Amino acid sequence: MPLLELNNLSVNYGAVQAVRDISLTVEAGEIVTLIGANGAGKTTTLRAISRMMKPRSGTLSFDGHDLLAVSADVVVRYGVAHSPEGRQVLARQSVADNLELGAFIRRDSAQIQADIRRMYERFPRLGERRGQLAGTLSGGEQQMLAIARALMSRPKLLLLDEPSLGLAPIIVLEIFGIIKELNAQGVTILLVEQNARLAMQSSHRTYVMEAGQITFSGPSAELANDERVLHAYLGG
Amino acid sequence: MDLSSFLQNVLNGLAIGSVYALFALGYTLIFSILGIINFAHGAVFTLGAYFTYTLISGQFENNGLLKGVNLFPNGSPLAGSAWGFALSALVGSVLAGLVAVVIERLAFRPMRSRGADPLLALVSSLGVALVIVNLIQILVGAESYSFPDGIYGDLPGALLFKLGKKTIIIRTVQVIIFGVSMVLLLILGLVIGRTRTGKALRAVAENPGTASLLGISVDRFIVITFFLAGLLGGLAGTLVGSSFGIAGPYFGVTYGLKGLAVIVLGGLGSIPGAVLGGLVIGLAEAFVPADYSAYNQAVAFALLFVILLVRPQGLLGKLQIQKV
Ligand SMILES: Nc1ncnc2c1ncn2[C@@H]1O[C@H](COP(=O)(O)OP(=O)(O)O)[C@@H](O)[C@H]1O
Ligand SMILES: [Mg+2]
Repeated sequence: MPLLELNNLSVNYGAVQAVRDISLTVEAGEIVTLIGANGAGKTTTLRAISRMMKPRSGTLSFDGHDLLAVSADVVVRYGVAHSPEGRQVLARQSVADNLELGAFIRRDSAQIQADIRRMYERFPRLGERRGQLAGTLSGGEQQMLAIARALMSRPKLLLLDEPSLGLAPIIVLEIFGIIKELNAQGVTILLVEQNARLAMQSSHRTYVMEAGQITFSGPSAELANDERVLHAYLGG
Repeated sequence: MDLSSFLQNVLNGLAIGSVYALFALGYTLIFSILGIINFAHGAVFTLGAYFTYTLISGQFENNGLLKGVNLFPNGSPLAGSAWGFALSALVGSVLAGLVAVVIERLAFRPMRSRGADPLLALVSSLGVALVIVNLIQILVGAESYSFPDGIYGDLPGALLFKLGKKTIIIRTVQVIIFGVSMVLLLILGLVIGRTRTGKALRAVAENPGTASLLGISVDRFIVITFFLAGLLGGLAGTLVGSSFGIAGPYFGVTYGLKGLAVIVLGGLGSIPGAVLGGLVIGLAEAFVPADYSAYNQAVAFALLFVILLVRPQGLLGKLQIQKV
């Protein structure tokens, strides 16, 4: 049984159907990418999974739980962490407090503090700025904080929405390095990316979205050589 | 003005100002979370005073459904000792907090879950305020109620200090009001600033969507906020009522308006601002000469007007271009 399973899921903004009848699975241990042009419905899909939004129809299950039956704060407790588009760090709280709140669902304070120290080792710039308000961090630092904060809940599945958006190429590479490393440590990842080439190189499987629907899917290595995908999304 | 009357005014101002702060903080908490003013807060203040009165006296006058009722024919067990007063104030305030939670359910949550304009919740809270005021009137009539004598037990009624030839009077009530308010404000500041719950509360205030992604139940924290706000409002009502009496069901209306002046003066959504605003208005009123005390109510708003001309964001408020 897949860890995450979407069946014929549709999501609307009022009368506008942003996601139409999509089916998608993520197996435990995978990195799966979701690519597609601006406005294709990628963010909406992630928002439906973490239950920031209520899907109109279809089914949505994670690790044996029906996610349609619960609200966003419960989805986290089941083990899904969402690092949303535009980072959404808590600008008026410190880096340390953002991380602490990332572990809101946990009660093991000694372990939480140990995890925060590990985050500072993994993201040294966050460690240097631990007392600073998150709103004063640079874009790259905020992205790292958003990822670190999501990890603080010790998720089974991490949803990442455009972690490379607006970042310098060297930081983008750093972030993809971290994604692979996390996956090697056992975190399953569903990644939404504009940088399709890099995303496909870094993932096991890829779904391609177009105007709210999934148009192609398959192992990333195969799709990356598929003429149609190549033409439409990889600029060649 | 000589030194002793100056000091006397400062003491009076701090005492009443600290109640304003306590009361106004209820507005601030709810405003920080929902971005709207809870117009039923003044009614909760009133209810707090009546609840505590009921516990400590239980004797009702000649109007309303409860006319002539005396809950404690042999005197309330809570009357006559400082601990009894503390306990009835606590229970009265907790009950007020619970009423605030019910108000959230009835007037705010239905609007929120339908995505209605926040202005509508404001109007529905105003409706709830009227309902509460009328219910009080139906139950116990429109007359004023005084707390029984000696509710502070063995504590002396006032402390007198000689300063030269003059005497400064510190009423026990004032010390209680100031002490209780300041301790509560301090505790609240620590809870909101330092604890996990406080951090989560601030997360909900800053961005409810993000807060829910972290596993924070936004609805639950809204309930907690309303409870705290109602508790503070009810306690403020209790303190004022026990000191000056309950002036009838509309008792809280003046305080409700003054509380608005306090939070705008201090800076909307700012907790230190509510405290500072409360103290400033309390002090300003205390310095109104006795001959002009009829204009007491105008002082808060005149002060507000002048300060907003200079600092439109209030004393400690940040200029908000837009809500994030
Ligand atoms: N808050 C919103 N209200 C109305 N329509 C929206 C909103 N957010 C996104 N949309 C629409 O939904 C569609 C999918 O958007 P989105 O999921 O953000 O796409 P992507 O993440 O792939 O760029 C787009 O047509 C977009 O205009
Ligand atoms: Mg998007």
